[in-house]
Amino acid sequence: MNEHRRQILEMLATGKITADEAERLIAALEKSDSPLSSGGGTSSSAAKPKYLRVLVDSNDSGDPYHGPVKVNIRVPMQLLRAGVRLAGLIPAQAREHVNEALREKGIPFDINQIRPDNLEELVDQLSDLTVDVDVNGNPSEKVKVRVFCE
Amino acid sequence: MIPMVGVISVRHWPRSRSFRLWIPLFLLWILLLPLAILALPIFLVVCLIARVNPLEAMATFWAILSGCRDTHIEINNQDALVLIRIL
Repeated sequence: MNEHRRQILEMLATGKITADEAERLIAALEKSDSPLSSGGGTSSSAAKPKYLRVLVDSNDSGDPYHGPVKVNIRVPMQLLRAGVRLAGLIPAQAREHVNEALREKGIPFDINQIRPDNLEELVDQLSDLTVDVDVNGNPSEKVKVRVFCE
Repeated sequence: MIPMVGVISVRHWPRSRSFRLWIPLFLLWILLLPLAILALPIFLVVCLIARVNPLEAMATFWAILSGCRDTHIEINNQDALVLIRIL
């Protein structure tokens, strides 16, 4: 990209373009550079998240004794990765039992699908997730759950 | 690296009652080490029965232990704050 910039400056020096035009061209060049650099950098140069953060913030005004509750949990990503590896160690028969128990609880989840690659994909996608939960169907008792990686 | 210290802190707001408990986990690991060596044959037998690679299992348990470091759990309401940290 430095070559393009040099060409613009040469055109300016030879008088083919004015200073304003050169400025506009350089600005356009920088604009076209930025999405490439940010998009390409997400996987390689961007820092990997170290922690999964879960913030729960309830404005529960209905409870006069305890008031609003705030929960702040920071879990190292290393622990999550190790947990995923642990799931891989569960014997096949036990996995079936786990799947069955989850299905009985209304969670149609297959524990065999838990793989480290899937976790990485999830972390890549999980930039900032916010969920508003109505407690007991009452909109005044809201709980805000924020999950993100940092 | 495995966690060395655990901190449990509880604070009550109105009366400012609070305590902070430092748990020296490194002492726990030192105490558990002989037990772990004694339990190793049992662990190997269990791994053989469950058809799990014992080296992989040990590596995973070590990764879980190491991963616990820097865990931070904080629960806070208007009366009290409970803080658990693993360092």
